[in-house]
Amino acid sequence: MHNVEEMPSRIAKYLSKVEPSWKNVEVTSYEVMTGGYSRLLARAEIRHAGGTEVLVLRGDPPKDRQLIETSRRQEYELLRVVGDHGVRTPRALHFDETGEHLGTPTIILEFSKCQSFMPYVAAGGSLDGLDVRLAEAIASYQAIPLEKLPASIERPANWDAYMTKRIDGWRQASHRHVESLPIFHYVAEWLDAHRPPEAPLVLMHGDFQGANVMISGDGHFEMIDWELAGIGDPREDMGYFKAVAQAMPPDLLDDARVEAFCARYRELTGLNELQVNPATIAYFLVLGVVGTVEQLMQGGAKWAMGENHLFTSVFNMSSVLFGQSMWMSALSQLSEPMKQLAAAAKGGK
Amino acid sequence: MFSKPTTEQLLAGIAEQLRTTVMAEIQTEPTKILLQQIDQILVGCSRRAAHEVAFVHEEAARVAAVTGKDVGAPASLHLDDVVEWYHHVSTVLADEVEAAFASGDQTRIDAVRRVLEERSAVEMQILGALDLVGRG
Repeated sequence: MHNVEEMPSRIAKYLSKVEPSWKNVEVTSYEVMTGGYSRLLARAEIRHAGGTEVLVLRGDPPKDRQLIETSRRQEYELLRVVGDHGVRTPRALHFDETGEHLGTPTIILEFSKCQSFMPYVAAGGSLDGLDVRLAEAIASYQAIPLEKLPASIERPANWDAYMTKRIDGWRQASHRHVESLPIFHYVAEWLDAHRPPEAPLVLMHGDFQGANVMISGDGHFEMIDWELAGIGDPREDMGYFKAVAQAMPPDLLDDARVEAFCARYRELTGLNELQVNPATIAYFLVLGVVGTVEQLMQGGAKWAMGENHLFTSVFNMSSVLFGQSMWMSALSQLSEPMKQLAAAAKGGK
Repeated sequence: MFSKPTTEQLLAGIAEQLRTTVMAEIQTEPTKILLQQIDQILVGCSRRAAHEVAFVHEEAARVAAVTGKDVGAPASLHLDDVVEWYHHVSTVLADEVEAAFASGDQTRIDAVRRVLEERSAVEMQILGALDLVGRG
């Protein structure tokens, strides 16, 4: 996809095949995009007899330059489902699964007219009301019935089993790494000892952060980059968003905004105050990052062993170092609130 | 060997040259981002090179104190031996974390947490500020 000489003709040929109503397809512009940490991204402008189109290509890098390994097929199928359910996300149009046409397995998406959130913030865009919009965005995809999701997405047996596996992910990340990571063991033990009240499992985005949302002209969020999506606890994406915001502000779930967010989210989903509140979000600030942390540490381990040559794998380990400091601090502050929540939940039964 | 400039100074110097001289010549955005990432890693390596053998020994002493176990010593001060020994020390600490929670003894849990917080503080000293260049 980085071959800017070759790609326009490949794209034109492929689109002529998959869009038979488009005649005289011509790629008038092709440029590699930045921002995709794990996938290759490019933007293509297309002209055909019936009009013009702007498309985004999202493809796999070569094996030895893959930061994380995820399924393009699953991502494509999920994109179709979330699009069909009215979730704000660029629609997936085509999928070259084998890379036969585009050189690597590639999803072709509509180009979003929304603005990337982080540049919006950097340019001084207003944050007023975005806490509420964030609740609406999360609730929108969590409302999709689980049976509608691609069959390849793992279905946990129940919430307890899911939490046990998720928490154990911290221990496994340490065991699989090239050296022991005792802070990961502490995090696992602490999370196990302070489980929050149960909540129904839902579709989770899996990498829900400021860099993966865009903002529309009317102030609504649009979600991109679903490659880490799965079925999980509804509070995980909230915690993850907050976690990343500690290193990459703004935090739309900070003390000033979190109550408004929780109220709107509870209103939309019917979950109660014991389930969704600042403390449970903070709990998932730690638990919610485990999937990404596992992937980042595996990338770093492979680099250390000479099995991958992607410098980003090394760079991303800095995020985990920063995270360890944040998790230790968060857990210390959360011990008492989580004990009180557990007591309240027990008293209510 | 020449011990001065130190490894810390050399790495910091390389980072500075990349930042002040090479960066201006870079035309493409992905390469600029890569160079910014390299800069951050080099600066961290500079701090780490100055102290890492000492950091590992200091933490090992804390682990020995909190666990009451003899954590031994590295086979030599060559970095490969030190790193292998540090992995052993970390495993002893991880085992103590699990034993402390299994016991339910809050004093024991607090003691091991303090060792981990000191470990994290050292990591943050090496890391400095985190700038996730290229995201968003």
